[in-house]
Amino acid sequence: MSLVKRPSPAAQWYLPGILAGMWFTLKKMIYNIFNQKKMVTLNYPEEKYEYSPRFKGNHVLTVKKDGSIRCTACMLCATNCPAQCIKITAAEHDDPTVEKYPIAYEIDVLRCVYCGFCEEACPVDAIRMGPEWQTAGLAGSKFTYDIQQLAYRPQLKGGVQSVLDDQERHKKGI
Amino acid sequence: MPKLKINGKDVEVPAGATIIQAYKASGQDICHYCWHPGLSVAGVCRLCMVQVEGIPKLQIACNTEAKDGMVVNNNSEMVKETVKWGLDFHLINHPLDCPICDQAGECGLQDQYMQFGAYDPEMAEQKVKKSKVVDLGPTVVLDSERCILCSRCTRFCDEVTKTSELGIFNRGDHSEIGIVEGKPLNNNYTLNTVDICPVGALTSKDFRFRQRVWYLKEADSICPGCSTGCNVKVHYNEEGLWRVKPRVNPDVNGHWMCDVGRNTYKYVNIKNRLLAGKVGRRDSWMEMSPNDATRTAGMRLKDVVDKHGPESVALVLTGQYTNEEYKDLLVYFVTGLKLKNIFHWVNNPEKLNDFDGLLFRGDRNPNTKGLEAALKLAGSKGRWEDLQAGLNGKKIKAVVVAGPEDQSVYPDMNEKVALFAQADNLVWFTACPSDALNGSGAETWQIPVKTHAEKAGTFTNFQGKEQKFPLATTIVPQALTLSEAAEVLAGKELNWALRPKSLGGAKNNYATTERGAL
Repeated sequence: MSLVKRPSPAAQWYLPGILAGMWFTLKKMIYNIFNQKKMVTLNYPEEKYEYSPRFKGNHVLTVKKDGSIRCTACMLCATNCPAQCIKITAAEHDDPTVEKYPIAYEIDVLRCVYCGFCEEACPVDAIRMGPEWQTAGLAGSKFTYDIQQLAYRPQLKGGVQSVLDDQERHKKGI
Repeated sequence: MPKLKINGKDVEVPAGATIIQAYKASGQDICHYCWHPGLSVAGVCRLCMVQVEGIPKLQIACNTEAKDGMVVNNNSEMVKETVKWGLDFHLINHPLDCPICDQAGECGLQDQYMQFGAYDPEMAEQKVKKSKVVDLGPTVVLDSERCILCSRCTRFCDEVTKTSELGIFNRGDHSEIGIVEGKPLNNNYTLNTVDICPVGALTSKDFRFRQRVWYLKEADSICPGCSTGCNVKVHYNEEGLWRVKPRVNPDVNGHWMCDVGRNTYKYVNIKNRLLAGKVGRRDSWMEMSPNDATRTAGMRLKDVVDKHGPESVALVLTGQYTNEEYKDLLVYFVTGLKLKNIFHWVNNPEKLNDFDGLLFRGDRNPNTKGLEAALKLAGSKGRWEDLQAGLNGKKIKAVVVAGPEDQSVYPDMNEKVALFAQADNLVWFTACPSDALNGSGAETWQIPVKTHAEKAGTFTNFQGKEQKFPLATTIVPQALTLSEAAEVLAGKELNWALRPKSLGGAKNNYATTERGAL
């Protein structure tokens, strides 16, 4: 049996409490009117918070120098993903030095927990967690990001280049 | 029978056995690449080093005969160092492209590096670049860079298939596996070279890049491709079967299996399957659950037997089902319906005794022997001419067919459907849809049945060896086995609680794509 604690007789006189609360609000309002620069709230859609550059936001698939996708479809990110939200379909590339590449790379961002394990598992710097974090939308189906969205969305301006390129690797003899 | 001591453990091996076989017999780990129990000894990888008491230098275990009283170990510092730097030499030119290598996850190099190597590489020189993605033939792709030249594949082609397509060309670190121009690796056993390749140098075109091996589970099974009944493992996940690999059984298939048998996983997968029961004829079909379709078929069969007697129903069986299913079906038809017209549909009588000398047989049914035994037990004297005469003379009003699981090995499918459709009623158990059946003129029940991977049972191979296999996975949960169908035909209810459920843990989040606007 759970006990319900009745409010004390003093608290039943609610008017003093209400007035104290309203006085606090009034005090803060007057303070903020005269000290607008010290205010902690932001006018959200117009003003935006600056997160650290290491913020783990929306995923980005990096591209090579020629603009093609860097991912080799090794599926280590999908294996490592605790939310199992990455789905990759691999295929054979015409170029034998590339050999394997993804023809479909889908992230179900509604399942994604933004842990960054995919980024850590990737052996070729093909996936990164970018700084974007505003991902509101109306349709649930819009939240399955495909290659087009992950690598070539307009915000990325043609794609983020990977630090590791196959051509360079082959030149180095790795 | 020499007795020897291996890492302090007493082992007895047959005369003539080598030390590495003694290691395998004692269940202890030993590093090796080139040695394979089904092939001759090459002794090229130099990794199975052991220290034999009384011999100052290390010996290779694969080519040293086990002698009585030998004291062998491979856990001394000397052996460990030798194996470690031997592995380093193997990896000098290896590209380490594990992310795109199909072998990753089941790779000898990965496993043995973790177990016996674990060194910091000290090679400063550049790696030798060789050709990648070399087309060796219709089934196999070669990546020369990954090859460590263990020569297992060339020995396989020389010794097992005796076709000698593969060879090692050039010298030193430019050595490469290759084929002679104009003679591709094209025989019925090519994919065994992929299995025995300890690295990812040889990969199967069929399986290449389709799945990562760590997503797949494996289950023991029997190959349904021919009457040899090779022992196999099927590799599957929630989406279905992905490949078939051989399992060792020295009495039946040794270490190998044929390429034809490796394709038997394809018709099992859901896109090639009949998913619901279909009742109707030529242009009008009604879909219903397999259970309901079977029940209505059973009622119709009982009506026919009541009206025209048991000789008006014929049962046609193919050698593609398990012994247990034959028994259950025959018990119902012989003792329940008092049927005498039971026939054995042989798909290729002229090729029945063909044999390619290794494994592959002309009889493309896994259980012809089992069916023959079951028919003998049931006292069936059904001759094919009687069936033909009965159908032509309209004496047979209903035909029940346990149709082929794998329709590609039944070239006479269309003719037989046309023949059986001369009867008024046709009950056809089939795993896969068929155009011929969809055009059947008789009133037809198409009832989906389970394939070999979805049920436990026994196949009797050509030697008369009964081989049991377990249920591997469930692909079409609503489909029935013939044993279940026999129960439903008899009017009994199935115990749904005991039947295997559909595959769990689908990876797609359908809720996301099907939810629409929030």
